[in-house]
Amino acid sequence: MQELRDLARKLLSDGAVGVVIGYEEGPHGVRPAFITDGADADKLIFDRRCVQNLATYLAPRRNHLGKLGKKALVVKGCDARAVAGLIRETQIKREDVVIIGVRCGGVLRSDLAIGNGGSGNGEGGIGGGGAGRPAAGAVATGAAAVALTPETVADRCAECDIREPHLADHLVGELPPAPPVSKRREELIAKIEAMTPGERWDFWQQELERCVLCHACREVCPMCFCERCVADKTVPQWLESSPTGRANFAWHLTRALHQAGRCCDCGECERACPADIPLGLLNRKLAQVVEERYEFRATDDPEIPAPVGSYKLNDTQEFIL
Amino acid sequence: MARIGVFVCHCGENIGRTVDCARVANELRDLPGVAHSVDYKYMCSDPGQSIVKQAIREKNLDGVIVAACSPHMHEKTFRRAVASEGLNPFLAEMANIREHCSWIHEDREKATDKAIEVCRSIVEKVKHNVPLETIRIPVTKRALVIGAGIAGIQAALDIADGGVEVVVVEKDPSIGGHMSQLSETFPTLDCSQCILTPRMVELYQHPNVKLITYAEVEEVSGYIGNFKVKIRQKARSVDADKCNGCGACAKACPNKKVPSEFDTGLGTRTAIYVPFPQAVPNIPVIDRAACALFRGRAKGLKKEACAKCREACSREAIDYDQQDTFIMQDIGAIVVATGYQLYSIGKDQPAGLTGYGEYGYGTIPDVIDGMQFERLASASGPTGGRIVRPSDGKEPKRIVFLQCIGSRDPAKGIEYCSKICCMYVAKHTMLYKHKVHDGQATVFYMDIRAAGKGYEEFTRRAIEEDGARYIRGRVSRLYRDGEVIKVQAFDTLSGEPILMDADMVVLATAMRPQPGIQLLAQTLSASYDQHGFFNEAHPKLRPVETNTAGIFLAGACQSPRDIPDSVAMASATAAKVLGMFSKDQLEREPTVARVDVSLCAGCFHCERVCPYGAITHLEIRDRKGNLVKVVADVNPGVCQGCGTCQATCPSKSVELSGFTDEQIYAAINALVL
Repeated sequence: MQELRDLARKLLSDGAVGVVIGYEEGPHGVRPAFITDGADADKLIFDRRCVQNLATYLAPRRNHLGKLGKKALVVKGCDARAVAGLIRETQIKREDVVIIGVRCGGVLRSDLAIGNGGSGNGEGGIGGGGAGRPAAGAVATGAAAVALTPETVADRCAECDIREPHLADHLVGELPPAPPVSKRREELIAKIEAMTPGERWDFWQQELERCVLCHACREVCPMCFCERCVADKTVPQWLESSPTGRANFAWHLTRALHQAGRCCDCGECERACPADIPLGLLNRKLAQVVEERYEFRATDDPEIPAPVGSYKLNDTQEFIL
Repeated sequence: MARIGVFVCHCGENIGRTVDCARVANELRDLPGVAHSVDYKYMCSDPGQSIVKQAIREKNLDGVIVAACSPHMHEKTFRRAVASEGLNPFLAEMANIREHCSWIHEDREKATDKAIEVCRSIVEKVKHNVPLETIRIPVTKRALVIGAGIAGIQAALDIADGGVEVVVVEKDPSIGGHMSQLSETFPTLDCSQCILTPRMVELYQHPNVKLITYAEVEEVSGYIGNFKVKIRQKARSVDADKCNGCGACAKACPNKKVPSEFDTGLGTRTAIYVPFPQAVPNIPVIDRAACALFRGRAKGLKKEACAKCREACSREAIDYDQQDTFIMQDIGAIVVATGYQLYSIGKDQPAGLTGYGEYGYGTIPDVIDGMQFERLASASGPTGGRIVRPSDGKEPKRIVFLQCIGSRDPAKGIEYCSKICCMYVAKHTMLYKHKVHDGQATVFYMDIRAAGKGYEEFTRRAIEEDGARYIRGRVSRLYRDGEVIKVQAFDTLSGEPILMDADMVVLATAMRPQPGIQLLAQTLSASYDQHGFFNEAHPKLRPVETNTAGIFLAGACQSPRDIPDSVAMASATAAKVLGMFSKDQLEREPTVARVDVSLCAGCFHCERVCPYGAITHLEIRDRKGNLVKVVADVNPGVCQGCGTCQATCPSKSVELSGFTDEQIYAAINALVL
């Protein structure tokens, strides 16, 4: 932790960056911090409650942050994949950001780390709530957070292969032991795959009917950087704007397809969702399909081309009639 | 309210048989926005077009729908008719009720219902159509010809004679290509070099031609009328400006044992060499792989191992330190004339092809290929035109020719016919008989394909006057028995096996595209077939164009061709190029993509998926010149209007003019709502 604070202080006092974007203790758990003065560097923290993906602050559509000067960003491995995605899709230049990578031993499920502001009622069946999910308010604060166990660890940590972000300019911390493995998400995906199309339809109908089209999933997503989302297009209006079952389906399927081969699997959409919709399942399933078919897995190497727009001779193309 | 006219065509019986055209016209008349609706037997005929024109005049139409065939056929026809009445041609659309309806359905009632639906959909689209203006782009009136064999030479000369500058790039040290290696040509038996070399000199001296030999096209960017071409001038190690072609260097060269490419390995050359005496330009080149000096340098020797050519040169033209240089050229049109190679059936089999080990090519010295026979028969060849066995120099009294080696044999990878072999084998038998009067030529063939002016007569002459024996059948094996080659075969007409002796065997191997042609095709963004031959835009109607605008084809790079075909194709290509250059500006369809820069987030997925390289980066700056963002931009000269960018753009910030979201949405809504 001290290493991180010292580095931030040095970067700010040297004038290398204008702002260090990291994590700090807030009244309701960990929150993003924008440190512009070296004196405030001691506010920075990093522990297993730091689930947020701060790479979303790099997207040019948050251009108000540009006034703070060059950015340094604290990233975990999963966040680094988002930074790489932004570089790959020409949203930022690598040299325009200083990346402080933290060695990561896994993070908590977001509801345990900071709560998700949602109802937490888990009425959605297998995706939301259920056994062992604490009610809002049970979120731990301070360093004495919940320990990482297969039940408490975030879904995405199970597949993590970037515990030391390769993309980083500075790597801080000791490499902690690997996180406990949670099979929760894979089991859910397998369960949904085993359903008949009718059952699957009913499942998603039940999950998606809670959506209020608040678009928080889009606002928090680092890869949703469009200046005008297709959902906001009115002439013609491809996606309906009132939250009906049909409109919700259209929105979430469009979003999932736009994320295929691009999603960095940071879990932010699911965390931001006030209706506890298991959006990670959609994204994860598509990531699996992309990996099987196009040998692409979200990575923090921006040089590896994303499957959208890249072409290999052995690409499967049985869908071309 | 829109004032749209609908014109339903019967296409004779093609549509009328299955679709009740009168009912289609009647039902559409009642649609909001439709001001006029009629049907007619042949809308594309002159009276049919007059109906459209008259209605535009009298009913003051602001949109036209012709319900007929595919827009591929007659969209241009009707747009021209509409334009002649002063209406913007892009306010006219076709509703395809032939390919999409009458041809594929049988039930008249349902087909008529569907035709009405198709028309309704297009009516809604046309309501959103806006006038579009033809795009005009400037054109650089300079052509590039890649390859200077007979096809390239002919194309370049025809273009140059048309008063246009031509840049000719040839990868070998001399122009002339395969034709310069041939002895005589069918069906007239005139000497190949005698008719070719004057054309070579003409090309060399033409004021409109810039000839770049020993060079290759490295990069091509830009688009029709505006290509930028980077040409790699390989280091000759000889200063072309100083050299006077005296040949003293080659005489002085101590390495005289390099197999000559020009003589297909049957003769030798020196390390510094001119490929053949009539070479154009007559400037030698050092084969660095064979030169003692360069081999010494490669080994790291400090001293120069040999400099005999430099010592012999009175003009100080030898430059051992010459490097490859690059030449940039602005080009308007590109002609590909890269020609062919023979299927190498020896040790170096091309990838994906295996076979013909049973013929012992490369192990039995007296089994040669067609081009080697040409060199033996040529007066300028390694034997001075005497036909002798490579093994012992004796005259072969029994010579056997095998046709279709590689060609027409799907089992061994090449299913096409190489087209020229039947004719040149007949020619070989005649050349042989004219030189070895007491010899006997035997030909094993599958079929004799002698279609062409004077071709059939020519093969009959070989058989009837020059006594060539033609046996229909395949040879299964060639093997050596002492000095004799045993030919094991089967006569499919008599049904009898054959075992005969031969002194020499000539294999008519298949024609394949030049090696590395795929790379060139990719550089040019032109397509090629599974064999590597360039694809023409249309096999019948656009045979010398490619699907990439501004790239044309001549000769055997497109498919196996003989000399008359290649020359004809080259002249056709030249006509295309000159036609293109006859205007100061090129006209392009305005149905191209357009980016809304205020919405584009600059993710450049469009750039990655664009098959034509039409997307460029555009910097948006504020009034003070600060960079606001970088967005995608479409070069309308390159864009072919395929719409892939539109489908890919996640925020729908790019649209295809004439096929905007609004138009497509309206068309779909008409069908589903």
